[in-house]
Amino acid sequence: MSSFALVGNPNTGKTSLFNTLTTSYEYVGNWAGVTVEKKVGDLKNGGGQLVDLPGIYSLHPLSRDESVAAQYLMEESPSALINIVDASQLERNLALSIQLLEYGRPIMLGLNMMDVAESRGIHVDPLKLEELLGVPVIPLVARTGKGSSQILSMLKEAPTAAMPEFKLDYGTAESAIAEIEALLAPIPGLPQHRWVALQLLAQNPVILQALESTLNMNAVKEIVMRGETELQQAGHKTSLADWIRTVRNGYIDKLCTAAMDRSSQKPHNLTERLDAILTHRIFGIPIFLLFLFMLFKVTFDWIGNPLSDVLDGFISGPISSGINNALDMAGASAFTHALIVDGIVAGVGGVLVFIPQIFILFLIISFIEDSGYMARVSLLMDSLMEAVGLNGKAFIPFIIGFGCNVPAVMSARSIEQPKDRLLTTLLIPLMSCSARLPVYALFAGVFFQSHQALVVLSMYVLGIAMALLLCKVFSAYLLKNEASVFIVELPPYRLPQGRSLMRGTWEKGKGFLRKAGTLILGGSVLIWLLSYSGPGGFGVDMDNSFLAKIGGLMAPLLAPLGFGTWQSGSSLLTGFLAKEIVVSTMNIIYHVPNMEGLQGQIALSFTPLQAFSFMAFVLLYTPCLATVGVIRKESSSWRWTAFSIGYAVVLAYLISLIIYQGGRLLGWS
Amino acid sequence: MNQPTTLIHLQPGTAGSIYAIHKMNPILRRRLYDLGVHEGSIVSMKQRGPFGGPVTLECNGQLVGIRLKEAKEIEVSVC
Repeated sequence: MSSFALVGNPNTGKTSLFNTLTTSYEYVGNWAGVTVEKKVGDLKNGGGQLVDLPGIYSLHPLSRDESVAAQYLMEESPSALINIVDASQLERNLALSIQLLEYGRPIMLGLNMMDVAESRGIHVDPLKLEELLGVPVIPLVARTGKGSSQILSMLKEAPTAAMPEFKLDYGTAESAIAEIEALLAPIPGLPQHRWVALQLLAQNPVILQALESTLNMNAVKEIVMRGETELQQAGHKTSLADWIRTVRNGYIDKLCTAAMDRSSQKPHNLTERLDAILTHRIFGIPIFLLFLFMLFKVTFDWIGNPLSDVLDGFISGPISSGINNALDMAGASAFTHALIVDGIVAGVGGVLVFIPQIFILFLIISFIEDSGYMARVSLLMDSLMEAVGLNGKAFIPFIIGFGCNVPAVMSARSIEQPKDRLLTTLLIPLMSCSARLPVYALFAGVFFQSHQALVVLSMYVLGIAMALLLCKVFSAYLLKNEASVFIVELPPYRLPQGRSLMRGTWEKGKGFLRKAGTLILGGSVLIWLLSYSGPGGFGVDMDNSFLAKIGGLMAPLLAPLGFGTWQSGSSLLTGFLAKEIVVSTMNIIYHVPNMEGLQGQIALSFTPLQAFSFMAFVLLYTPCLATVGVIRKESSSWRWTAFSIGYAVVLAYLISLIIYQGGRLLGWS
Repeated sequence: MNQPTTLIHLQPGTAGSIYAIHKMNPILRRRLYDLGVHEGSIVSMKQRGPFGGPVTLECNGQLVGIRLKEAKEIEVSVC
């Protein structure tokens, strides 16, 4: 089967094109570093597989996501490459194209963002480029799908197309290239030897590592030394790696002069005007905070809660009675009846009523991602982040973490320095994800009715504050490193398209629905069974059930925090599976048909102070099971994984203790 | 050609040609190079950041944010 690879600079629209060309859908955004691992999809015309690689500026990687592309080219042998080039940033994009042309597989250039380039007064001539490079060049607008059918039909013929005859003359370096090629000759299964030789001379770590065992590295070093002496003698005071770059840049300059006309280039008017306000040195941060506050206002007070109430009415009304009737008609046993109504409907339904809030939150996050504001937030936050030992870029995973911690941990891969990446990964669980939202919505709805958005916002702020505080502590004592660096590309703002917003929201929200159908469903059945059975057999009184016994073990420990009941203990225990399950468990335990009933029960069992302490505990106490899994995968260390759970439990305990005991001292209850 | 100055001393909106990049973390230098910011390229200052935070510069129509202290290491000659 043919396989094709999409390669190009970050944020040039590879994933948009991938989504148009294949039957699958992947995550798109407007900042550098959206795709952090390779994604495989089937081409729509059945012509083979398409691989979407993380964006890179060069095959020489700096961060972990970037090494994926070089590794792919070294290990696999794609039938053809599609190099996506941003027409409005031709020069820097071509630096990568040169390295791909040297790779020696059939290749086509997708000249994307033609519309952006035109609107900025940059005219690129695809025919001229095609003539000079000797490979097909296809103008594209990936966001609207323009040009994609042409790519699809060309891919059919690509595997049999002639290899590109691209060869740059590296002058003085040619003898070193030839000598390395001779060394590579006996090694089987390599891509084009000239390409490998050039990558070796450029000190590409991925290629060096791949050949470590098969190639005589001392011989390579000698060749490099000889080559550099030759360069010196020829009067060039540079290393071979720099020399190669210089030759390429000279060639790119000539290409651009011939194929691009930027005489009528206009500045980014809209982007600059927006930046003047949104990244203003005084107003930038207040605007961001205001934006966050609005986010919660919309998610809760204005749209989310009213919709949620409607949904609750529907689930506890028509759906529940429908299920009851159906069970009666089918003559279900009392056991089955109880399992379905008290276990599944209560547990899963109790979480599903929060769909509106969660989807609105995801919609707003998608908007931040698509508009280009994400990169600006990292700019605004850099001073603060630097003060605690990280850099502004780490704030991007933090914001993604408000949606779900799992993709947030993955997105940390685009952070350049390993220590910064680990530190960010460890702190992401403190970002209040959408799964914690049902817990806040439930408790804030009961105790803090008039200030819901504010109370919920306080949870998010508490999470961020703790992350910053611990970041300072960890970077000072645990993970000392060199000073962090910060550099961020600020893409032009664009108005997100409705279609891509809907798609992005759905893709994120889908995970929540899937979880409701699997983990939460399974968890609810298990919890109900534990509440239905006890040492005394089945159908016991809830207070004598296994669930009460297990939760009871925790109760004395939790008493100083204000919620030392077996009910809280078992909710928190089961909440490790997924934090929504805290709500499912309460629904099952308090045995109520709808939200209103549960709220009534909770109002009896908690005081406002206890409720606030409980909310803070749920926010902090441990990453959920899925997050623990991804932390283990990304850090490849059980020690750090265990640490991420351990510090969270200790922190949650301390904070809740301070809230509850401090509140009591102040005379609140 | 005018006297060399550092990037941050450029008036917002004016451009200069990079004359030298001094002390800089190698990762950052590479990344700047990838984005087309190197000796000889034309850059302009766009905006100073909040509280001594990152500055925004423009090069080849690309906006890039870097920290103030690193921008100070970039020497330009006003054109």
